[in-house]
Amino acid sequence: MINKILIVDDSPVSRAIIKKCLPTGRNFDLFEAGDGKEGLEKFKEIRPDVTLLDLTMPVMDGFEALEEIKKVDSNALVIVLTADIQQKTVDKVMALGAVTVAPKPPSAEKIEQALTKAESLLSK
Amino acid sequence: MNTSQTGDIFSKDDAAILEEVMNLAFGKASADLAEVIDIRILLNVPRVEIMKADRLFLRIKEETKEYGSVSIIEQNFWGKYTGSAILAFPSTAGKGLLSLFDDDVNVGEEEAPLLEKESLLEVGNILIGACVSKVAELLEDIVSFSPPRLLPRVVINNLSSETISPKLDDPGKSAILIKTVFHFEDKDIKGFLFLIANQNSMG
Repeated sequence: MINKILIVDDSPVSRAIIKKCLPTGRNFDLFEAGDGKEGLEKFKEIRPDVTLLDLTMPVMDGFEALEEIKKVDSNALVIVLTADIQQKTVDKVMALGAVTVAPKPPSAEKIEQALTKAESLLSK
Repeated sequence: MNTSQTGDIFSKDDAAILEEVMNLAFGKASADLAEVIDIRILLNVPRVEIMKADRLFLRIKEETKEYGSVSIIEQNFWGKYTGSAILAFPSTAGKGLLSLFDDDVNVGEEEAPLLEKESLLEVGNILIGACVSKVAELLEDIVSFSPPRLLPRVVINNLSSETISPKLDDPGKSAILIKTVFHFEDKDIKGFLFLIANQNSMG
């Protein structure tokens, strides 16, 4: 069961859209970070069940953040949300261990599908 | 469509394919955006041109001069092909774009200017990311993106290569310019997307 969600995105507007797309009727504990470095620190601190991660960010991008998060916890469940929709980018982040990749802007349906996939891995 | 100046970088057929890919890419991005903000985006047919780099800013000036000043979102990309994407909205568009997210964001008066900027950046990031990604796939490339950068309220007459990307203003080089005009229906917001790539990287 997913309780804690960490949203890592440099855009507050994007974070607001993501929060709006989360399934209603669920009481998630939500945490936010504005770049990959801050996201990594918050990940270490709160150990979220799922991390929603942007790729194109200042300071530390999502690729590096994903790698670092996986070093901290190889079982970390990371969903990548990005405007970079290149297939090779998708292949790259999946190889780094992402649960799935969804294009920006996300829809409620896509977020729910991604969380369902993450939840199935969490229960294993 | 204007492919008469595509020179030795693209044949007319290549340019036509590129324009079609742009159409598809922008259509996909627009559809995704519309899903969130519940508004239709109308698109013009993309136009592909090759020109000397020092002409690029004159062309952008020509295209946007009716607005007097524009807010520009610039995002650089690099891979086998390298360049910049420039999204230009009239300076007055910030409030309109923020209103697209009204249901999503509760805005206080103090927060509004910041959120207007963030709305511009996010819309730019989505549209540029979708379009550049599709072009990269066409060229069997993978590109990396810099975070988007906002240049608010740039007076058109002051627009220069230094305002945007000095590295593209090498008069000895040619560049490819792809232009699309889009219009947010019911919001009276019009914008321009320019993709600029160095000739060397496109060869």
